[in-house]
Amino acid sequence: MADVEFELTVDGTTSAVEAGFSESLLTVLRDRLGVRGPKVGCAHGRCGACAVSVTVPGEDAHVLCACLVPAAIVAGCAVSTIASINGPDGELSDVQEAFLAEGAVQCGICTAGFVTAATELLDTNPDPTREEIEGALYGNLCRCTGYGRIVAAVEAAAAGRREATS
Amino acid sequence: MTGGIGESVRRPDGPAKVRGEFVYAGDLTADDVLVGVTVRSPHPHARITRIDTTAARATDGVHAVLTADDVPGDPWFGLTMRDEPVLAGDVVRYAGEPVVALAAVDAATARRAARAVVVEYEVLPAVTDPEVALTAPPLHPQAHPEGNVYRHVAYTCGDPDARGVVTVENTYRIGMQDPAFLAPEAGMATPLPGGGVLLEVATQWLHSDQQQVARALGLPPEQVEVRLAGVGGAFGGREDVTLHTHACLLALATGRPVRVEYTREESFLGHRQRHPGTIWLRHSADADGTIVAVEGRVLLDGGAYASTSPVVITNTVTLLQGPYRVPNGRFEGSSVRTHNPSCGAMRGFGVPQAAFAHEAQLDALAAALGLDPLEVRLRNALRRGDVATFGQTLDAPTPVREVIEGVRDLPLPTGPAKAPGGVGRAAEGGTVRRGVGYAVTIKNLAFSEGHTDESTATVSLRDGHATVHCACAEVGQGFVTVAEQIARTVLGATTVTVTQPDTLIASAGSTSASRQTMASGTAVHRACEVVRDRLLARVARAGDLDPATLSIAGTTVCAAGRPLTEVADAAPGHTVRATEHFAHPDTYPLGSTEGGMYVGFGFSAQRAVVDVDVDLGLVSVVQIASCQDVGTVVNPTQLLGQIEGGIVQGMGLALMEEVVVVDGLITNPHFEGYLIPTIVDAPEVVSTYVTDPEPGMPHGWKGVGEPPLCTAVPAVAAAVRAATGLPLPAVPIKPEHIALGLGSTPTVTWTTPRPAAPSSPGRAVVELDPTDRTGTWDAEGATGA
Repeated sequence: MADVEFELTVDGTTSAVEAGFSESLLTVLRDRLGVRGPKVGCAHGRCGACAVSVTVPGEDAHVLCACLVPAAIVAGCAVSTIASINGPDGELSDVQEAFLAEGAVQCGICTAGFVTAATELLDTNPDPTREEIEGALYGNLCRCTGYGRIVAAVEAAAAGRREATS
Repeated sequence: MTGGIGESVRRPDGPAKVRGEFVYAGDLTADDVLVGVTVRSPHPHARITRIDTTAARATDGVHAVLTADDVPGDPWFGLTMRDEPVLAGDVVRYAGEPVVALAAVDAATARRAARAVVVEYEVLPAVTDPEVALTAPPLHPQAHPEGNVYRHVAYTCGDPDARGVVTVENTYRIGMQDPAFLAPEAGMATPLPGGGVLLEVATQWLHSDQQQVARALGLPPEQVEVRLAGVGGAFGGREDVTLHTHACLLALATGRPVRVEYTREESFLGHRQRHPGTIWLRHSADADGTIVAVEGRVLLDGGAYASTSPVVITNTVTLLQGPYRVPNGRFEGSSVRTHNPSCGAMRGFGVPQAAFAHEAQLDALAAALGLDPLEVRLRNALRRGDVATFGQTLDAPTPVREVIEGVRDLPLPTGPAKAPGGVGRAAEGGTVRRGVGYAVTIKNLAFSEGHTDESTATVSLRDGHATVHCACAEVGQGFVTVAEQIARTVLGATTVTVTQPDTLIASAGSTSASRQTMASGTAVHRACEVVRDRLLARVARAGDLDPATLSIAGTTVCAAGRPLTEVADAAPGHTVRATEHFAHPDTYPLGSTEGGMYVGFGFSAQRAVVDVDVDLGLVSVVQIASCQDVGTVVNPTQLLGQIEGGIVQGMGLALMEEVVVVDGLITNPHFEGYLIPTIVDAPEVVSTYVTDPEPGMPHGWKGVGEPPLCTAVPAVAAAVRAATGLPLPAVPIKPEHIALGLGSTPTVTWTTPRPAAPSSPGRAVVELDPTDRTGTWDAEGATGA
């Protein structure tokens, strides 16, 4: 299949891309654009290590597995990777800070995906129940932590947001 | 003092990890880099009749296509026996075995070229049943002409024919577990001027890699520099060489950097699994539950190549006794070669298998005698000073009673729990029953049976900034944090850098066996102490003070307890440096009269609470309460991370994780078919500790990483048995085991008590078989030191 040409906006930067028709967003990000925050864990949509946030113009952002999405499909959308997540002045975001404080990071290969998914959760639901946290994060696998510290980190970040707005 | 030992210091690599900026092995790249791929055998046993690489070589963009003929050095490698070909040349012995390695300009070209490689096979019968392999003709006569047994161990203690009033016996089965670290194998090799090569790779053991790669390349080890690349989890699965040698061969053949990254499927095929096994156990006890005798037999399927199979089997056999006093026993076991995937190290290293079996037996014994399961365990608990069945005196704290009491008194969870089944729960469930189960385990810590357990660290200090250099592989466990904490506490350093591990310093051994805080942590501690003493001597000389009166408190140098100067200002511009080595006291092979087999032990107790849908066979683990013997708490948050992570991996083995091998072929080499626990499956964990300092270790620290997994497997199984009333003698416990009630019940026999014969040789170990061989590691440390 011949290559296709399209423009891709990643973390605010628009690039011209020439890629295979069905080449995944993950491959284009990592191998063609050198954007390596999204990780390769399974390349089958089962682990969430490659999670990115994609915004279709005029719609809400959605967290997707970049390994499952052909890159050409998201031409014209805004793709945000972990590199777009940070706090004011480039500091760590509250979610990132909570992941460190609670010990939610060990080897860290899953962390970018978890932070991406947890950030979307708290941006849309600042006071999630335990069940809602599980519902938002069950697509992300972690092999090191046993998830306990990850849940604690999301709860801590949510508590921080509640305090900030109360 | 902030940031020292005992505090929940944050990981120094954490900020880069939460930003997605940490560089993992799979992120490595370079100018002119080529991509290497591996062509693998689709057959578990076949003769290679023809390899034709013409078309692959002719593919545009392909720079090298290598076969066994292109291996310049030793064609064989391996962690214990050198029985595995770098590339198979004449015979393949497992499905997935590497046959051809090639490098091309990009991944797509490399994969296309790999498809163009022609390998013709004459398929041979595969021996995939370890019972058959035990007595089959040698499967690998070149390397192992005497048979298929990697190691057979057998010993007795006391009078194995002694009997109490009851015996219980059953046969237990443990499935093959995959380490399933989330970052597949990856590395990059770069040719160096002068004919050498730099290998940056995600590994657990740099110096073992260096030794094995150098031998295959026909180079002296110093021509192969191994540097740790960012590691995305390990759990034992990165202890063996996989892509390492292939990447280096391709780099030297092309003169360009070559990166190799496995797919998830290749990862399942390419690395070693946890040994599946069958364990028969018979316990005899008095009416009050006191164990009179234990007999056990183990058969582990080691798969096609030895890896650590000769070492793992000893752990399983010797720790069949569990954390209990066993005065009389007969123990035997083998790890055996088959044409199944190779098995080797995985967190727990033979002990989860033993623990699953002995804890099921303890519960069966309690049930037969009408006793409380915890009372039976307390009655038999090992204590300091006891002699283990394998002849070693437990001369360090042995808090078995304490860890049991630590979980016994914790409140049970209340309130509604989620429906069983995790992500796969059914919309309409059946009858749910709750069960509570307990397990207690003993895990040996560090290398054993004479395998040198050592590490070396270099520490330098300048203006309050400490730099730590050690070959200890950081794989996610948090050694980098612990090293920082040590430098802060001992040196009063204000900032610390832990440099990337490499083979320019002596070996730190493997990041495995729960050993790195003990070995490398102690080496760092010693180096820090020497640096501290040299700094204080310098301060004493400059100020004409008695060095004996000087000390460091926090970040301050004190004289006779009064602040004198900050460490950062104590010797402006001057670097103080020291390199120190640590080795545990020697250990000895099973049966030796010179000393014990093991460096030390960790003990752990857990209580699992589960909800089981008995109609659908689905399980939810509601809570696991843990009490573990941890020596001292070095970093509370990281310790909890080890406990929770280990528990969930153990729960995975108990309920869902199994590499399914049919006729030598893995049928589920992917996360669609190999299920690891998700956030929905993970239980609440309540973690408590017994802190009885380990003698001979700074601050009394000891290894903590493996016991949580070892204990979770039997604890979860016990809870599911309690909920269902089923015997469940195999893990993983699958839905059909529960829904259809599959699995044999322990046999209970009432016996006439027969005390141990007075002539029985006490607790001395008796080797039954003079042909027993100990496993031998390659002496990797010699070149690094």
